[in-house]
Amino acid sequence: MFFKQLLLFAVCLQVNNYATAGPMGFDGSFMVMGDFNNNWRESFINYAVTPRDAFGVSATYMRSDDKSKTRTLEEFTYTRLLHRWNLPNSQANLWFAGGIGALQGGDKLATGYDNFDKVMITPGIQFDYETTRVYFQTTYKFYRASDINHDYASVRAGFSFYESDYDKTQPWFVLEARNMNGLSDKVEVTPMLRLINKSFFVEAGMNTDYKPRFNFMYIF
Amino acid sequence: MKKLFLASIITVLISNAAFATETIKANVNGMVCAFCAQGIEKKMRALSQTKDVYVNLKQRVVAVEVKEGQTISDETVKEIISNAGYSVTSITKSDQAVATIKAQLEAKQEAK
Repeated sequence: MFFKQLLLFAVCLQVNNYATAGPMGFDGSFMVMGDFNNNWRESFINYAVTPRDAFGVSATYMRSDDKSKTRTLEEFTYTRLLHRWNLPNSQANLWFAGGIGALQGGDKLATGYDNFDKVMITPGIQFDYETTRVYFQTTYKFYRASDINHDYASVRAGFSFYESDYDKTQPWFVLEARNMNGLSDKVEVTPMLRLINKSFFVEAGMNTDYKPRFNFMYIF
Repeated sequence: MKKLFLASIITVLISNAAFATETIKANVNGMVCAFCAQGIEKKMRALSQTKDVYVNLKQRVVAVEVKEGQTISDETVKEIISNAGYSVTSITKSDQAVATIKAQLEAKQEAK
């Protein structure tokens, strides 16, 4: 509980001071993203209609640590670059990312399953700061429906092993701490190896419960 | 004979001027990630006048070589880079090809 509060505090503190990185591509491009582990599987695609705005669709599967709760969410999404700071050797971004969609849930009770369908809204904010050698990102996203609160908070930090040229692949070490309210009491900590190239972005790691994690992004 | 020689010289000078290599070099702030900066390269290459493009993250340079006999305005380069989400701090023109600029910048990096 203390770590959860600490994580939320850190997120709020950073959001007040800064913002996040890359949930959309350049003007006129599609971005496909996937984030998969045992309890959280999310995939989305969006299209940038302007340099700052993107519309898309997303599908998310969520499950509690004890497997007693499952959720699936299909939503329409909107992403907005609220502000970007371009500095000589770094960049920082503040993003809004939100959606509205259909939530299907199932809670395991002593007497059987309680299944339900609800409308869920997911407004969120993200901040990132990045140089060619270090990276920081914090996200807070509301996942709300009537009587449901699965707010998502994450903090990420990392460093690249070396600087690389534009057309070469650059390896990074990234450490993430995140929590999904109402689905897990724990702060999930996952160290990951990230590979960035001008054409792809992939991350793979294993959390402290030895569950694998895989993320990717692709712009076309 | 003298007139013919002079005319030949002028013709050579004019043709060299018309087909001289022109590369636009932009210094760019905020360009730290290849995955994020790919939009600059793709948009520059989409211009029919573009012969070649080079992006250098370490030295924050975007170089666009223009096809012989064609032009790209500084404003166009600035607009593409700004729309990709970055800030242009300065623009210069060079008569060197992108390949030469790339070799020079990479040699400079290795010397550091």
